[in-house]
Amino acid sequence: MKTRMNIRISGLGGQGAVTAAHVLAMAANKDGLYSISNPFFGAEKRMAPAESYARIGPEKIYDRGELVFPDVIMVFHPQVITMQKSYTAPFYSGLKDGGIILINTTDDLLSDADHERLNAKKVTVYNVDATSMALEIGGTELSTNMAMIGACAGVTRVVTLEGLDAAIQDRFGKKYVASGGTASLDQAITKKYAKKEMLLKKNIACINESYKRAVEWAKDKNLAVAV
Amino acid sequence: MNKKVIPENRKIINSTHVKIGEKNKKGQVHTEPNEFFFGVERIKKFFTGSEVIQSAIKVAHCDVMVAYPITPQSEAAALIGELFADGYVGEYFRGESEFAVMGQCAGASFGGARVFTTTAGPGTLRAMENFPMWAGSRLPIQVCVTCRGVNSPLSIQPDTLEMSYLLETGMLIWHAETAQDLYDFILMGFIVAEQPDVHIPIAVCCDGFFVTHTKDTVDILPDDVCLPPYDPYKSPVPCMDMECPPVRMMRDPFIMKSNYIHYATHASWQQEIHAAVERSRKHTIPLLDGLIDIENGDRDVLIIGSGTSVSQSREAIRLLELEGIKVGLVKIKTIRPFPHEEVREALKNAKTVFVPEFNITGWLAREIKSVVPDNDKIIAGPHVAGGMTMPSEVIVVEIKTALGLEVEKIKM
Amino acid sequence: MGAEKIKICEDLYDIMPPEYQDIVENATYGKEGRGWKDIGESKELIEQHSLCAGCPESIAFRYILASLPAPEDTVFVGSTGCTSLVFPMVAVHNIHSLFGNQNAIATGLKRALMVRHPDKMKDVVVLAGDGATVDIGLDMTMQSWFRQEKFTTICFDNELYANTGGQESGLMQKGFVSKMAPVGKLFDKVRLPEIAREAGCHYVVMMTSSKPNRVEKAIRNAIYVAREIGPTYVQIYTPCILEIGKQSMEGLDEMKDSEGIGGRFTYKEYVSDEAAALIKKMEDAEKAAKKAAREKAKAAAKA
Repeated sequence: MKTRMNIRISGLGGQGAVTAAHVLAMAANKDGLYSISNPFFGAEKRMAPAESYARIGPEKIYDRGELVFPDVIMVFHPQVITMQKSYTAPFYSGLKDGGIILINTTDDLLSDADHERLNAKKVTVYNVDATSMALEIGGTELSTNMAMIGACAGVTRVVTLEGLDAAIQDRFGKKYVASGGTASLDQAITKKYAKKEMLLKKNIACINESYKRAVEWAKDKNLAVAV
Repeated sequence: MNKKVIPENRKIINSTHVKIGEKNKKGQVHTEPNEFFFGVERIKKFFTGSEVIQSAIKVAHCDVMVAYPITPQSEAAALIGELFADGYVGEYFRGESEFAVMGQCAGASFGGARVFTTTAGPGTLRAMENFPMWAGSRLPIQVCVTCRGVNSPLSIQPDTLEMSYLLETGMLIWHAETAQDLYDFILMGFIVAEQPDVHIPIAVCCDGFFVTHTKDTVDILPDDVCLPPYDPYKSPVPCMDMECPPVRMMRDPFIMKSNYIHYATHASWQQEIHAAVERSRKHTIPLLDGLIDIENGDRDVLIIGSGTSVSQSREAIRLLELEGIKVGLVKIKTIRPFPHEEVREALKNAKTVFVPEFNITGWLAREIKSVVPDNDKIIAGPHVAGGMTMPSEVIVVEIKTALGLEVEKIKM
Repeated sequence: MGAEKIKICEDLYDIMPPEYQDIVENATYGKEGRGWKDIGESKELIEQHSLCAGCPESIAFRYILASLPAPEDTVFVGSTGCTSLVFPMVAVHNIHSLFGNQNAIATGLKRALMVRHPDKMKDVVVLAGDGATVDIGLDMTMQSWFRQEKFTTICFDNELYANTGGQESGLMQKGFVSKMAPVGKLFDKVRLPEIAREAGCHYVVMMTSSKPNRVEKAIRNAIYVAREIGPTYVQIYTPCILEIGKQSMEGLDEMKDSEGIGGRFTYKEYVSDEAAALIKKMEDAEKAAKKAAREKAKAAAKA
């Protein structure tokens, strides 16, 4: 990795955007890179805008707080775009030229004007059907964030699958500190899977599948990976 | 100026009453502070600031922690509860408001306990009457302030305005830049605040979310060592546990009299507290390796700041470096005692100085301007407030504009 | 603290203040069965006070200090007001910090003492005026009761803010005209004893300080119950003779007048079942001890 990659995640409260950033940063840490991740939200609330950021790079990172000039933007929910549930308007403001946007959707949610502006900035957009993948492989849409992480890694190669595997083990394999809302969601998920091992396995399967599809998509697109 | 202590010669005074090498009930070895801070091998962790606070308290031999929920310190306060459940903290409970919590901390400290609590923003202000009382009562309580906005309007986001309210409380005020600073400051803070010739409360401040909710790499101590316990019988005022003779048996006490002797007592007592703040330097300098850090201090343009603004400045300096603009950095670690001589010396040769801050008033710039003779070279900015991020690009623009350089408009 | 801790080093004896020498020689630290009857024969734990001449608070203070079961292990927590004029002259540790936070301080103190001295019983006693207890500090007063903190709260009820010059307080009677109640107080005297009972106090007494034996009994019961079971509350009428327009010698009459049948301060107590059982056990033990002592004396006389 030659330069810093700044990843901005826009989602809705309850979707695991904060967890996703932490997992990406932890994976980078496992890969031996420098990383910092932090959430940004108002009073914690389901379905309200929630953002998180992962900064990953080859040298020590000081920058923190809201990520204003990202290289990669992930959109976890269509409402981020359709109902303007993001902290910046439009959701891609500040995106660097040549940046990448990953959107959890099956439909094109962008207007012609959006496309025009993004084309001018040489931005690539990848529509990921993350929720379907989550339901299909994880058996719950709560795994959407895992599918998004996999897609991000597949497209950008910012972290390795091994790093992600280790981070997931860390995050879900042992007692983890999460804020109130996140903790109760964790419990919901844990109940659903009955067993932690199952949760781990399914999350990792979700990441792997999404990663694979993203790699293929990037190959088709001839996308030069930023890392 | 206090003379610079070279790290190899770091030595801090340690209570001789507490037995070094003994184990507490969790089997942690009471470790001599110099060895604890500079000898014991550390472990690398990837932690949020909240987890860092917990990790510090785990090895702090803390007797009492009082908790109350307020974003962004709630996670940390709850995590310390888990330490209590595991037996690492003597007593832990939730108070009813920050005003009450700080009273409960005071009660515990009067009773001779090592006390820790956390608060933020509106909580700090609600608790405010307690802080000068802590100092006046010479209680070495530690409060970790995870700074957030002050109402109104309501904000839960990071903003350092509340620190300016703490400036004249008589407390020590340290400002951590990163999770690593926070970890070290919490542990070192106990040792400095509890020195018999200091013995006043300490506020270890960090920026909410930017530090508390950010995952970062931190070197922490192993669980099998801990700070030596607090020795309340070395306090300059008696510990209120009826284990030493009660002192007030005089016929005509001077406190609460409306006469000159009362005014003089009050005034000299206050002087003594502020003198204690200054006396903390001699313990703080070796532990923190000086009250300020300087990087490339010989450059014409300097940035000086504390907390997260230092981090953002580091990034800005990298960006400016790419354009061939060379900028130095001064990081202030202790706001009280304020490193006036160090700052004056550090800024002596600079031509332009910037003070980036996460608050609306620019209180740090005011503090700095008050100690620098040619202070028209100090630019109080850039400022953000209310939880706004300060992108390093904004610092770059501020500096280039002030230096009369061509500035490219930031594209969104 | 053992009573021995206040002993003076022989070499320094003559330079210690006479008050201190007196405390060491004649105070009742550690004396079994200490009580109000010691007043006059022993060194009181209170020196001269700076209250108004004839202030009923001063006598209540003396009765309370004389009644403490273990002053050598008792720490007082006070608050701002007339009582804070007295505490500097009291020979037990006492804490003054702010106005109204006394029950918060006592909470932290009691818990710290339990952590630091797990094998020793340390009594914590709050003594504050009605403004501190009921108005500005009511939240902390009640929260300490909800939490079942093991200390005693004593309120010196003089039905107004005395030290600031006689302003209306929550414990003032309805209709009383005072500063800040220029047309008379518009609402009833706050029923704190009932609130205390509902908030979880195990032993609640409302009384005046006209009868020393009653004060002694209430204080001892309150402290013993607080040690073993939970929070206790004693509210004592200590009229502010200055602000209600009485003469120095009229304090006692004022208390006696108000404690008659139907008066504002007719003696009342609320005792939880647990506390009642404990008090009964204590009284039985005391009776048995007295009986044994009597018989021993009788036997000795015979011999």
